[in-house]
Amino acid sequence: MRKVIPPRAVFVDHPVGRTFGPPHDLQRNLAVLRKVLAELPLFTGPGEIRDLGCQWESDGSRAWEDELRAEMLRDR
Amino acid sequence: MAQASAPNPPRIPVAPSKLAWSLMKKPLSDSRVALLTSAALRLANQQPFAPKEDLSYRLVPSDPTAGEIVIDHHSGIGRVPRQDPEIVFPRTALAGLAREGAIASVAAAHLSFMGGLRRHKEIESDLAPDLARELQTAAVDLALLVPY
Repeated sequence: MRKVIPPRAVFVDHPVGRTFGPPHDLQRNLAVLRKVLAELPLFTGPGEIRDLGCQWESDGSRAWEDELRAEMLRDR
Repeated sequence: MAQASAPNPPRIPVAPSKLAWSLMKKPLSDSRVALLTSAALRLANQQPFAPKEDLSYRLVPSDPTAGEIVIDHHSGIGRVPRQDPEIVFPRTALAGLAREGAIASVAAAHLSFMGGLRRHKEIESDLAPDLARELQTAAVDLALLVPY
């Protein structure tokens, strides 16, 4: 993302392809979208990447990384 | 034919020739918002994207009831987003924010194109200006690109 220098970029620490949460979870979609929009007025120039502090699992577990790797290998 | 069946070289991110930046001129509550997605998604009754290097785009109605969304992007991450495209294209959530007044309105259509293209020059000279014109015509104040 740094290389392409978007005007305003936010980082959502979710599995790739699940930016706004797990399937069929409108409340999670809304929560992420609210965070994105709230961040926009805080940018002062291009190229900045702001971390929204999103966690996929509420306890901060990163077990999803291994699961995602396995899933992507399976679905290749 | 040998070339056509050879594996693609790895993708290399390319910096734009000039930086994009403009100030936010309105508060969110006065802003019209559109989504941009690189998932090559579309309504089921719209023309499918070509499997690769398709520089076209689709205007996807922002009304969440407008019809079934199909994801044409060839990426291996597609199985889960196909269960619920809203996780990469949150048009229902965005419509909800407009209803509650957090944003002024949602553009009548969102914009969808194919991510992962290698024709960088044509993206800058053709696709990106076309998308910008669509946003301008629709009087969009904020465009949210959700990369796929």
